[in-house]
Amino acid sequence: MTTAKQPAGGAGADLSAPPTALAAEPNGFLRRRVFSTDHKVIGRQFLWLGLVFLAVAGTLAMLMRWQVAHPGVPVPVVGAILFPATGGIVSPATYTALFTMHGTIMIFFALTPILIGGFGNFCVPLMIGARDMAFPSLNLLSFWTMFAATAVLTASFFAPLGPPAAGWTSYPTLSTAVGSPGLAQTLWVVAIYFNGASSVMGAVNYITTVIRLRAPGMTYFRMPLTVWGFWLAAMLNGLFVPVLAAGAVLLFFDRVLGTRFFTAGSTIRAGGDPILYQHLFWIFGHPEVYILILPAWGIVSDLLSFFARKPAYGYKVTVWSLIAIVILSGVVYGHHMFVTGMSPMLGESFMLLTMIISVPAVTMGVGWLGTLWRGSLRLTTPMLFSLGLVFVFGLGGFTGLFLADILADVYLHDTFFVVGHFHLTMSAAVLLGAFAATYFWFPKMFGRMMHEGLGKLHFALTLVTVIVTFGAQLLLGYAGMQRRLPDPSAYAFLRPLLPLNRLVSSAAFVMGGAQLLFVANFFFSLFWGPRAPANPWEVGTLDWTVPSPPPHHNFDEIPQVFVGPHELGNPSVKEKLGRDYLLQSEKLPA
Amino acid sequence: MNSPVLTICARDTTLTGREIQGRVDRTVATLYDKDPAPPNMFITLWPITLPHDASQSGHRVDGILKYLIISTSVAFAVMAIVLLVAVIFHRGPIREAHYTHGAGLRDRLVAAAVGLLVLFGIDAVAVVRTQDDLRSGFWKYPDNDPQAVRVEVTGQQWAWTFRHPGADGVFGTRDDLVTLNELRVPLGRPVYLQLTSKDVVHSFYLPNFRNKIDAIPGAVTRLWFEPRETGVFEIACAQHCGAWHYKMRAELAVMSTAGFARWAQRAAADAPAAPPPPSDGGGVIGQVDKVDQVGKVELSDGAWTWVARP
Repeated sequence: MTTAKQPAGGAGADLSAPPTALAAEPNGFLRRRVFSTDHKVIGRQFLWLGLVFLAVAGTLAMLMRWQVAHPGVPVPVVGAILFPATGGIVSPATYTALFTMHGTIMIFFALTPILIGGFGNFCVPLMIGARDMAFPSLNLLSFWTMFAATAVLTASFFAPLGPPAAGWTSYPTLSTAVGSPGLAQTLWVVAIYFNGASSVMGAVNYITTVIRLRAPGMTYFRMPLTVWGFWLAAMLNGLFVPVLAAGAVLLFFDRVLGTRFFTAGSTIRAGGDPILYQHLFWIFGHPEVYILILPAWGIVSDLLSFFARKPAYGYKVTVWSLIAIVILSGVVYGHHMFVTGMSPMLGESFMLLTMIISVPAVTMGVGWLGTLWRGSLRLTTPMLFSLGLVFVFGLGGFTGLFLADILADVYLHDTFFVVGHFHLTMSAAVLLGAFAATYFWFPKMFGRMMHEGLGKLHFALTLVTVIVTFGAQLLLGYAGMQRRLPDPSAYAFLRPLLPLNRLVSSAAFVMGGAQLLFVANFFFSLFWGPRAPANPWEVGTLDWTVPSPPPHHNFDEIPQVFVGPHELGNPSVKEKLGRDYLLQSEKLPA
Repeated sequence: MNSPVLTICARDTTLTGREIQGRVDRTVATLYDKDPAPPNMFITLWPITLPHDASQSGHRVDGILKYLIISTSVAFAVMAIVLLVAVIFHRGPIREAHYTHGAGLRDRLVAAAVGLLVLFGIDAVAVVRTQDDLRSGFWKYPDNDPQAVRVEVTGQQWAWTFRHPGADGVFGTRDDLVTLNELRVPLGRPVYLQLTSKDVVHSFYLPNFRNKIDAIPGAVTRLWFEPRETGVFEIACAQHCGAWHYKMRAELAVMSTAGFARWAQRAAADAPAAPPPPSDGGGVIGQVDKVDQVGKVELSDGAWTWVARP
């Protein structure tokens, strides 16, 4: 394994040592483009993979929404091709497979690869002034493990007896061989395991890279908040994904080897406990929410500062808020299990701890608003998406309090209120963050600018439809509608909700359509966008001090860092240098 | 009260379970033939309301929901207003950015104040109220209440089975009343359910009673509520339990004391009786092994009798 050759980071690095020789960029298509150890290439590979699966999972969601809005009506256009056996109708069995695969793909194979795999890989070494990740070969292995996981998951679509259909949570005993016979659910378990292995490899790499490879002068409190987000998310990944993997392994044993970890035993028969899986799943599952949102929070915290042209307000308060959230996120998972009949004392503890997360969350929010306040806002596309995240996350975050409260949760649990809440927070907000990141770093990644006008149109349509779709889902849940019903009219009390369901579906279809603007913009810009300068956004972090796209070794010379990441709008800089930003590798003029 | 299906059970308390099931099936069949789409979506779109509250303690949930809606809406509105003002008025390039790192004492006090406001204004109030409601209501199970109506609930793919102990008050005896997808309880007494599942995890959900509890294979969970009015209410499965999860629907009939007593009496008379003869009119229906003897159940003269094997 070759580690990047460069002095160790941190303030104590020895600058007098002669620069070590740069590793030359490998020749040959395979080593450069496919099995590359370059973090920038691997980042782009993760991005492509994530975007492809984002499109797949989004399509699955729209098929679902068609069935809920128009139960029993054949899906127009694609129905006859996809579901020939039923004449294009989404059957209840198909519906369960659709929501299972939608959730699984979105969380594990779309959002995680795009943000952590894609932007984490691309941005972290560039932003801390490193030539590559600490373990480039492990990074390569991480991507191809993820690729293997996607191959297995894709295969599960075509398994005999149908695709996996036990929900993205796959609770036993429904997910055991008795509840879900067939190969598909086994493949699902294998795919989740490989996916987890990939995430842990990435986590080890990010944690080490940030600790060891920071450029001289890049102290922890001079790191961009983006790096903080990825670093903390990596810690959660490293700690909690193995717990999910343990659950997956035991479930695999139950399905394949006939063990009984998750099926109930009796006095005469060996057996375990179905609830054990729920504990394992949610010990991972709640931190997973933060694994997804932390990178988006970090990115947006930076972007708000960059485009408000002033430093991040209360940088240290924001960092400590993030750390507090990360710590708390490990001890609140029980609120997913309030209705399993858990001990009242345990329930009350989990309620209190979950509620307390709102405190660091709002102090972080104060930081965002403080950054914008009295700024000189430039409403570029990445800025608009960042502002959208603040709004949408506010909406989703506050609805989380309802689900932290046992009494309200007992009523709202497993209703569309939960669906609306987690889509606003860990899907819509994360996706808005991912779009902000894409529009922002596209020039650095591909060397060309994206189209601003198309981007703004994409933003406007996405924001409105996100709020309508998921906001209306909150109302559906408030009215009591359960999740995962292919035809809510089976219940009399849900029948008046059909118009609202149709509204959700219509908004979702428009949202899906609006993403075509992004696809068009992405491909158009990739080939015909104007060439990007090194620093088109006029900001000071290290990634913008190198050409777009950066050379193979990132930095000709490892930079020395003098200031924090948000030295914007400083009057003395303006006076001396005639611009409103200072690079992190520049000294503050005396 | 909500649908024709429901009113059948509510009005006619003399029907047996099987008779009701037959009528329900027929009514369901006609009900879902109709197009459920209302003509104009905007008429029914607003207001979205909570389901009708039919329980003695549902108002506690509604109260906490109301508090959370108001408090979080205020907090969100403040956030949204600051955001909008900044986006509309604090714009470049006309306006210069005010250079600050927001690291002063005053800035930190602002952040702390907002955090404490949420902690004590929303979190603490909700936690204290909820704890009180749980301890004095939802978690105060009627263990020692002789008035409580005890029912065993079993979930399975995709139906609910309910077992009353019958007149002797003891479960597992021959006068137990067992019903399928239909839970009958009298008004004015707490209902104490004990739940489990035969196969996968289900969740017993009473929207009109703001209550829900999982039914888990290998475990016993419990839930109690007290109705405040007669009527028939829907019971739903809230936990994904397979392809036909959405059809795992049952009904809760809250009856007058007299009506419930009449039904229980009739049903109790039916309970120990033998199953009806099969259509061919006779024959052996199965082998039974007892501890000390082997025999079979045979139909003779219209009654099922135990015949020991020689």
